[in-house]
Amino acid sequence: MAGQSDPHFSLFSAEEVEFMAEDEMIEIVPNMRMDPLNLLCGDFGPFLPQIATQVPLWLAVALKRRGKCTIRPPEWLSVEKLTEALEAERESPRVFQPLPFHYVEISRLLFDHARDDIPDIYMVRSLVEDIRNVRFHKIEINLEEIQGRAHAVKIKNLSAMEVNIVRPFVVRALQAFYKHDSPEMIDQSDTTANRRPQVADHVPRRVVRR
Amino acid sequence: MKIRSMKLREAHKNNGVSSFCSILWDLQALHLVTSSSSDTSISIHDPLLPSDTPNILRHHRDGVTALALSPNSTCLASGSIDHSVKLYKFPGGEFQTNITRFTLPIRALAFNKSGSMLAAAGDDEGIKLINTIDGSIARVLKGHKGPITGLAFDPNSEYLASIDSIGTVIIWELQSGRAIHTLKGIAPCIGSDLSTMNVLSWSPDGETLSVPGLKNDVVMYDRDTAEKLFSLRGDHSQPICFLSWSPNGKYVATSGLDRQVLIWDVDQRQDIDRQKFDERICCMAWKPTGNALAVIDVMGKYGVWDSVIPSSMKSPTEGLPSLQSKNSNGLLLFDEEDPEPSTSGSLSDLGEDSHGESEPPSRKRLRKQSVFEDTLEEDVDHELSSYPKVESCKKSHRVHKERLDNGNEGLRSVMSSVRPKMQEAFQPGATPVQPGKRRFLCYNMLGSITTIEHDGYSHIEIDFHDTSRGPRVPSMTDYFGFTMASLNENGSVFANPCKGEKNMSTLMYRPFSSWASNSEWSMRFEGEEVKVVALGTAWVAAVTSLNFLRIFTEGGLQRYVLSLDGPVVTASGFKDELAVVTHASHCLPSDDQMLEFRVFNISNGTQRLRGHLPLTPGSCLTWFGFSEEGQLCSYDSKGVLRVFGNQYDGSWLPLFSASKEKKSEENYWVVGLNASKLFCIVCKNPDLYPQVMPKPVLTLLNLSFPLASSDLGAEALENEFMLNNMHLSQIQKRIEEMEAAGLDTTLLDDEAFNVEAAQDRCILRLIASCCNGDKLVRATELVKLLSLEKSVKGAIKLVTALKLPNLAERFNGILEERLLKEAKGNIAIPLLNSNRAASITADVAGSKTLTSTESSKISEPPISVPPPKLSSPMFTKKAKFQEGAKVKMEKLEQNRTAIAENIGKVKNVEQEKKAGEVHNVGEVKKAGEMNQVQFHRSSNPFAKSSSNNQEKSSLFDSLKKKNDNTGKR
Repeated sequence: MAGQSDPHFSLFSAEEVEFMAEDEMIEIVPNMRMDPLNLLCGDFGPFLPQIATQVPLWLAVALKRRGKCTIRPPEWLSVEKLTEALEAERESPRVFQPLPFHYVEISRLLFDHARDDIPDIYMVRSLVEDIRNVRFHKIEINLEEIQGRAHAVKIKNLSAMEVNIVRPFVVRALQAFYKHDSPEMIDQSDTTANRRPQVADHVPRRVVRR
Repeated sequence: MKIRSMKLREAHKNNGVSSFCSILWDLQALHLVTSSSSDTSISIHDPLLPSDTPNILRHHRDGVTALALSPNSTCLASGSIDHSVKLYKFPGGEFQTNITRFTLPIRALAFNKSGSMLAAAGDDEGIKLINTIDGSIARVLKGHKGPITGLAFDPNSEYLASIDSIGTVIIWELQSGRAIHTLKGIAPCIGSDLSTMNVLSWSPDGETLSVPGLKNDVVMYDRDTAEKLFSLRGDHSQPICFLSWSPNGKYVATSGLDRQVLIWDVDQRQDIDRQKFDERICCMAWKPTGNALAVIDVMGKYGVWDSVIPSSMKSPTEGLPSLQSKNSNGLLLFDEEDPEPSTSGSLSDLGEDSHGESEPPSRKRLRKQSVFEDTLEEDVDHELSSYPKVESCKKSHRVHKERLDNGNEGLRSVMSSVRPKMQEAFQPGATPVQPGKRRFLCYNMLGSITTIEHDGYSHIEIDFHDTSRGPRVPSMTDYFGFTMASLNENGSVFANPCKGEKNMSTLMYRPFSSWASNSEWSMRFEGEEVKVVALGTAWVAAVTSLNFLRIFTEGGLQRYVLSLDGPVVTASGFKDELAVVTHASHCLPSDDQMLEFRVFNISNGTQRLRGHLPLTPGSCLTWFGFSEEGQLCSYDSKGVLRVFGNQYDGSWLPLFSASKEKKSEENYWVVGLNASKLFCIVCKNPDLYPQVMPKPVLTLLNLSFPLASSDLGAEALENEFMLNNMHLSQIQKRIEEMEAAGLDTTLLDDEAFNVEAAQDRCILRLIASCCNGDKLVRATELVKLLSLEKSVKGAIKLVTALKLPNLAERFNGILEERLLKEAKGNIAIPLLNSNRAASITADVAGSKTLTSTESSKISEPPISVPPPKLSSPMFTKKAKFQEGAKVKMEKLEQNRTAIAENIGKVKNVEQEKKAGEVHNVGEVKKAGEMNQVQFHRSSNPFAKSSSNNQEKSSLFDSLKKKNDNTGKR
């Protein structure tokens, strides 16, 4: 996609974002006894049957695959909370609900690997999808604000996947606007192509000073 | 047979083209719904006033090919050639939503019996199963090669049957979405004639599936095996194009391409009536509340055929539960199991809402759904029982809930009503009987035994928490009706109470693994009833209604029979030990129970303990057992956990109190405990015990004494202090026991040492808080309790840093006394004890040099902490001098010097008032010889404790710095 050649704009693939999300902690209920695991990223355990413990998602999924634990879905991943979130998302066209930064990835991973541990999975799944759609729609609306004079769009509570998707577009769009705004840039654009981001940073300041 | 003619009324203008039309009754026969595949509108007629203009719904852009009404008649679905499936509110007809879209025309629609799911199919490849609440596609079933023209949900919601235009029938299992039976070419191939559709239908009891056959007949197939059962064959001269079961399943109406409709008696397999029409009848519907059949022909003309069944025969609705009552009290919502858990209760509660408040059933998700589902699930369990029974169960359940809703109040009132009669026997870790639900017979730290009653006998399952280690035990069917069980690593024991005369009380033991086959055994008791069972290493115990304690071996040998003093309350086993609680006497006038406990050692044949079991006033015993270390514990209904400790020659220590946890909305259901934690299942307030599903998760709670709130404000420390004391006494007791038995106690010694070190740390922190709170006397008392010498020094250092010279002086005095005693002891007997002391002091030296060098770096001569051996400020000068000497020595041989120093120090203290000279150099050599001998023996604890010391020194440092800071201000 956009600007793959330029390291500034390179996108993470969905898998890469998911990989990053796997470091999020989640609660599991092991069904085996195991000593604490001492890993580079921290110590987890001890694992005692039927006693909940916190582990990173990747470990939870690995254990789940071997049938060694059940995953306790996070509190926000319940029909009740999601319904609330969805309603709130729908009600306020500007504000984004504070969902976990990796909510898309976490829910996806849990839907893939821990279907039996999530009550009302169909409902939860459709709610998450709805929330995601509503939010993407809202992002699109918000991004319509980018115009000639806008140098920034402020959107709070965006999640990793959402940021990842809009990043190339936003950066390029802002740059394009900047370029068209300042005639001197058009001449130099080719030569300064690599430094564009830095230059772009200076512009708002100049405008403010005026 | 007579041939009558029937007058039909035009509902849809088909412009002379024969096209498929549909007709439906609503649940109470108040409306008739018709549609035609060449008309875009749907008409809702009033059958009583046929001449009135029908309510017409025009939402489709092309002909309507399929209609379906939800079972509670609150939602109408229509499918059309315009590829869409729409939902309407019924009977109002307000458009709700386009619930799904296909890429080709829709041909068939069907609701499942609870209305939560809609199946839609047509010329597209797959059958879509749609959740009616949110419109999500639950599943797409693919397998038909031709356009699908008929769909039917099995009334038991297990299967979906579908038929296509080339005559293939597929039976799908809803749970998995698999096609379990595919019957090819059993129905006529209708090709591309769109005015007829192959249809199929389940009998109302769901036992048979009826499909039009190839020989102008109707073929009945078995529900599960899909084998052909029989066929209805008679006067149809052309293939059958529609069939419909009467509501009670006694009759079938069939319509053939030969333009006649036949009525069949299914039991006789005989046609009983017929009607000839001008046009082919393409759809029929039995009136749900009477003896009538609605028909519609391919020209869009409909009519109602009254008195279809001759009055001499049973009515087509006879034998049905009254639909009126069924609908009005909403029981319909509960009597059906849902094929998909996620969709349960969906449309039905929509229906109920609109029923009561005439609110449009919206697509909005209902938040109360989860609550709703609970009741639904419970009631589903009763689905086999008849309606009145369901209702009574519901009622009792509601009553039960109401009682529980009062929370603890409710419990107490229940208890108080029970208490004057003394509490009943119970099995620790069992939950009460709940109709239709699985319950725990036994739940402990190892696993659980659950049971559910079903048709007069029970299913018992044994699960281990640790699935990787515990043996896999197959579930068993229990014909005895066991109500008591116990579980350990080796086996499980069950017992049932006697029910009447022929069902005697039985005790059964099932080992999980045995070298011999058939090692399961059972005992029967005549005129006696088992009240409580317990299990231990190679023994089984049962206490009976005759107050007999019967002890069996693992193999089933009757080993002992003892008579107990009173009726049993509960019993618990742990390894060799069996603890039994009995009633000692009637309740006191204050309604408090008098309970007594005994602990037997089965392998030695001794009674180890006996005494009264304390209870919180006004409570009853709810759990009784052993901790993981083998300490006897009890938990009462007021939420107080007591552990039998050996302090004061054995007494019960209250170690946990639910009321102190300050979470009033939670109840704790105890499962077990270890030395420092209580394992319990947390139940949200109305519930006092957990359910089997979802699988309960253990919560760890800290043990704590119910301490009074002191002026010190350090409850946590005081609690830790008390707990450590208790652990120490436990360990000492065990060391004594081990020594008496002539066993090796090194492990316990290490443990004791660790606890002592932890206790000293705790005391030091307590001293700090005492000093801060200006409780100097208490601080002095605490210093005397310190077990290690280095800790005393630490304490001196601490108070010096806190600028309490007075106290430091006092502590110094205490230390002197101590060292004097110890020095004598050291020289006299360099045995195990002194050995330990030496190693410890060595550690202190190590850490001390560390801190002292540190402090010298900081270079705060007047305030800096002098080496602890000369801790009081009076000796600062000497201290400095010694420090210098020490640093030198350190460079030489650290370890040895450190030890040597201690001995030197001992002497130092003796001499310190006489002279300010340093003897170190001389003594190093002397002591070095002596200590090297000892040193190698104490190497191990050295390693352990040194880390402790570093921790401690850092604690001191931080304390010191803090105080320095405050001092400077």
